[in-house]
Amino acid sequence: MAFVPMSVPVPDEAPVSLWRDAWSRLLRNRLAVAGLVMVLVLVFAAAFGPMLTPYDFLSQNLEARNLAPSLSHWFGTDDLGRDVFSRVLYGTRTALIVAVVVTAIAVAIGVALGAVAGFFGGLVDRTIMWFTDMTMSVPNLLLVVVINASLKTPLSQWMEARYLVTLNPFYRETIWVDFLLVFGSMALISWPPYARLVRAQVLTIRSRPYVTAARALGLTNRIILIRYVVPNALGPLIVAVSAGLGSAMVLESAFSFLGVGVNPPTPSWGNMISDGLRVWQHYPHLLAAPAAVLGLATVAFSFLGDGLNDALNPRGSK
Amino acid sequence: MLRYIAMRILLWIPSVLLVMLGVYALAFYGAGDPIKLIFLRAPGDVAYDPVRVEAIRESAGLTKPFLEQFANYLLNLLQGNFGNSLNSGRSVWAMISAAAPVSFKLGLCAIVVTALIAVPLGLVAGLNQNTKLDYTILGSALFLWAIPPYVAGPLLMVGLLLILPGIHVPYGWGGVFDARIILPLVVLSFQPIALIVRQTRAAVIEVLSEDFVRTARAKGVPELFVALKHVLRPVLTPVVTQLGLIMITIINGAIFVELVFGLPGLGRLTVQALINSDYPVILAITLIGSLLVMLSNLLVDVLYPLLDPRAATSMKGR
Repeated sequence: MAFVPMSVPVPDEAPVSLWRDAWSRLLRNRLAVAGLVMVLVLVFAAAFGPMLTPYDFLSQNLEARNLAPSLSHWFGTDDLGRDVFSRVLYGTRTALIVAVVVTAIAVAIGVALGAVAGFFGGLVDRTIMWFTDMTMSVPNLLLVVVINASLKTPLSQWMEARYLVTLNPFYRETIWVDFLLVFGSMALISWPPYARLVRAQVLTIRSRPYVTAARALGLTNRIILIRYVVPNALGPLIVAVSAGLGSAMVLESAFSFLGVGVNPPTPSWGNMISDGLRVWQHYPHLLAAPAAVLGLATVAFSFLGDGLNDALNPRGSK
Repeated sequence: MLRYIAMRILLWIPSVLLVMLGVYALAFYGAGDPIKLIFLRAPGDVAYDPVRVEAIRESAGLTKPFLEQFANYLLNLLQGNFGNSLNSGRSVWAMISAAAPVSFKLGLCAIVVTALIAVPLGLVAGLNQNTKLDYTILGSALFLWAIPPYVAGPLLMVGLLLILPGIHVPYGWGGVFDARIILPLVVLSFQPIALIVRQTRAAVIEVLSEDFVRTARAKGVPELFVALKHVLRPVLTPVVTQLGLIMITIINGAIFVELVFGLPGLGRLTVQALINSDYPVILAITLIGSLLVMLSNLLVDVLYPLLDPRAATSMKGR
């Protein structure tokens, strides 16, 4: 892991071999490859899924309600006669969007705060870390559910009022408020681990010789941070992100279960699961299908994350 | 050491105050009107009378300015008065003290179960790195991690009822020594077990590459003795530091488990309070949750020097 560029002006040469090395190690790990394949399937399903099924995820067929899985409906149909397979496929898109956006926001906040804290130290570090610990020490699920539950109604009322005043169609789409709130509050509880991770990395990196060299060359703090410190702290971050994508998906479903997630009719695995929970005694497939897919997706991301960890951190393996 | 503990508690106070201020502000500006909700949800045709609503709101002290309300709340809190539920009018303290023992007992059992199952499994996996046994243990841990409690609960219930058709549905609470605790306990322990298995395994792999392990093996110490005497103890140190994280996992999990299995604990109280916008209850639960996490982190700091004497000397140096 101790990667040190040979000389400052050509930083692009060495990383290639590091990444190629890690890539070949990753491919040797069977669990990681399985995870990678599953993730690729998910991405494919999210991109092209809705084109692959003959049913629309919204079209109802009241003559075919609550059908058990069959050849024409692979995962059966739900209480409104909608094809569950199509809904699960469309849910992949929702899940991936939620996971990617939430993780991106959380990583951006975490990397920025963690790098600044670790690099500058002193009072800056203490303040940021106090804030991080504070966020981590509150039962996080409770906090976001409170935020969501209390801001949802006022915000959509405000949007409604803005629409009536301005007639700007932008304010009509309350779905954006939903997404904004869900994404925002999920990111709010997801960033602290990234901040701590990056800070710990930066603390060890900033005393490395190449940082001293960059400083001796007279580069500014900002450039040193962006060009030398952050890229070298990326390895563990990638591992954390891979696991984070999986847990963001689970978090989304937890939100839906508690009734504060992405609103129906947009299919999300979370609200399919929470709908399924109400009728699982009679129609177990309505719970099993989305739950199994959510489980598979999370497992895929954890397999991949663990494999990446071993690949990017060869010291731990024999 | 005492000074250190006092410092930690002093630092915790402003952070929890900030969080409570945030929740209070959300309640004040964002929440649905709790008094109105009482009338809307009342059984039968209780006439919705704006005058009566205003009267109740006045008597609950909800018409005063924000900071005055918050200050009053804090003053009452200092005197041990958590206020009254806006929904039922019962004292919040009475509600909490009725519910808390259930959650505490369940959570404590879950921690014990986790420690007893996860640490040995992680040890075995780490000692047999990259063998079939390791893959099986790690794979099942990742699998457990991927199944949220609100899915695992119902699925296990279905499975159990299919295997043992004669049994009663495990619903409700009968104390720690009641058979009905088994299923919720299992479900609640899934995610902490997964977490600790992975932590232990990683720590074992790290420790195995240390010089003292090689020395012990070179001396001809039996492998089992190496594992128990030389590996287990340094492994426990990083594992114990996860207590705070486990606490959060269990608090989050309890919300779902208590809901699914009908346990009258804090988790169910939380969900009911959220549905009713019953903010005095939510605030009290936030305070308790934050206190629990802080105390478990503090416990870790106190235990740490006992497990790792090197930390004790560095702490004295401060």
